[in-house]
Amino acid sequence: MTADIPGRGAIDLRGVSFAFRNRTGEAHPVLDGVDLAVPGGGIIALIGPNGCGKSTLLRVLAGLLEPGAGDARLDDVPIAGPDPRIGLVFQEPRLLPWRSAADNITYPLELAGWPADRRAVRLSTLTELVGLDPAVTGSRPSELSGGTRQRVALARALALEPEVLLLDEPFSALDALTRERFDLELLRLWERSASTIVMVTHSIPEGILIADRVVVLSPRPGRVVADIEVDLPRPRSIADLDAAAVSRTAAEIRAHLADGAAADDEVEPARVELAS
Amino acid sequence: MRRRTWLPAAAAFAFFVLVWKAVVVVGGLPPFILPPPETVAERFVTAWLDGTVWPHFVTTMVEVALGFTVGAGLALVVGYGLARSPLFERLASPYLVAAQAVPILALAPLLVLWFGPGLASKVVICALIVFFPVAIATMVGLRSVDARLLELGRSLRATRRQVLATLEIPSALPNIFGGMRVGVTLAVVGAIVGEWAGASKGLAVLINLARGSLFDIPLMFATLLTIALVGIVLYLLVVALERRLVGVR
Repeated sequence: MTADIPGRGAIDLRGVSFAFRNRTGEAHPVLDGVDLAVPGGGIIALIGPNGCGKSTLLRVLAGLLEPGAGDARLDDVPIAGPDPRIGLVFQEPRLLPWRSAADNITYPLELAGWPADRRAVRLSTLTELVGLDPAVTGSRPSELSGGTRQRVALARALALEPEVLLLDEPFSALDALTRERFDLELLRLWERSASTIVMVTHSIPEGILIADRVVVLSPRPGRVVADIEVDLPRPRSIADLDAAAVSRTAAEIRAHLADGAAADDEVEPARVELAS
Repeated sequence: MRRRTWLPAAAAFAFFVLVWKAVVVVGGLPPFILPPPETVAERFVTAWLDGTVWPHFVTTMVEVALGFTVGAGLALVVGYGLARSPLFERLASPYLVAAQAVPILALAPLLVLWFGPGLASKVVICALIVFFPVAIATMVGLRSVDARLLELGRSLRATRRQVLATLEIPSALPNIFGGMRVGVTLAVVGAIVGEWAGASKGLAVLINLARGSLFDIPLMFATLLTIALVGIVLYLLVVALERRLVGVR
């Protein structure tokens, strides 16, 4: 299923390192020589213990953080700052509370200078794409459920038709059943859009359900300790998670995760993480 | 307005008038100390109808409107500067605080001396008194923007101006309106204080006239009532504007 179209959302990381500096200027390495290649149209899951730098890695990919060393490329071009070819879904919906759902979805288009009529056309495509009830697009985020808010955030990330979709534990705040439904919908969406997807997750089953490969990061400073192929045919369903191959893959991922004890020092602000 | 909103307000007002009347009757106060409410109400109506209040009212309103606009306008700009530049904040804030700490009552005679007994001095005094709360509210509001939203803006390559227009200002609006609510009532105080320090027209002048040469104490109370109503109406206007612009979040 990994339709390897050259030059369409292929990610290549070579030896990417990153360190946060605290107030005294002391460096805290977060990523240590990460090598990762994702073919265009591929879908991978990033998994690792708390604070291992998964979110940092995603921010390097998004051009929000500049790596201290190494090379990050999208379609063979170095990533230099935020890029319209990359769509980003954060852990929390991160919607503008004073805007309606519709105006949140079209916010990237507005910033990019699209006229209102084109925005309206794109809006109807996007709501359909993410399965958002058109009746709620006039509502403010505070009036929407958590799942609906994350749908709005997903639609916003897709607004500019990105080649790469980066998701940072996007469904971790949802209940288990809703999360599975969202994972499957994300897969359907991916099948239609052929974009590259990198999803950070805490859940081994979620990673196996969606990804071609599950990439395991070590405790901080994070580096790739395993890159495990998920041998499951597509299209996938929840029932596939019961297959024997899945338990073998899960066991393998778990073994690599257990290799390093959880890092104790917290440099990043503490976050609420919902592991499953 | 819905019944639930105005009913308690009306009840509280009725209670206030009753207590007022009771104080007059029980205390046996003469009308030149405290006229009964019905006398003040009657004087209020006649003073408005016969044109006694009107020119003074217009003068004060012009002072308040101009003073508030100038003061709040400058405060928005300076508040933005304070939020943007820590250096500017360090340089400017001692003077802002000092200007706020000196009672406007003490400054007013000086300002009237400098700017004359006309409109200009009142606008300066109003603007001065409005400035501080709005500037501080603007600074605090702009600084309170959610860093995560700023990161979103950055990921979408929002320009400096787009960040200001679509993230910072909307985030700061509730704070700014908080400052404006305080500011608009202070603007009325500023105008009255300014007129007190020297003017030929205005509601404060009318109070002075009613107390002095006219010796019309009910008129004095009717003017006080007018000033209070001006404050209330202006405050409600700001609240209404806030509802429109900020809405429910």
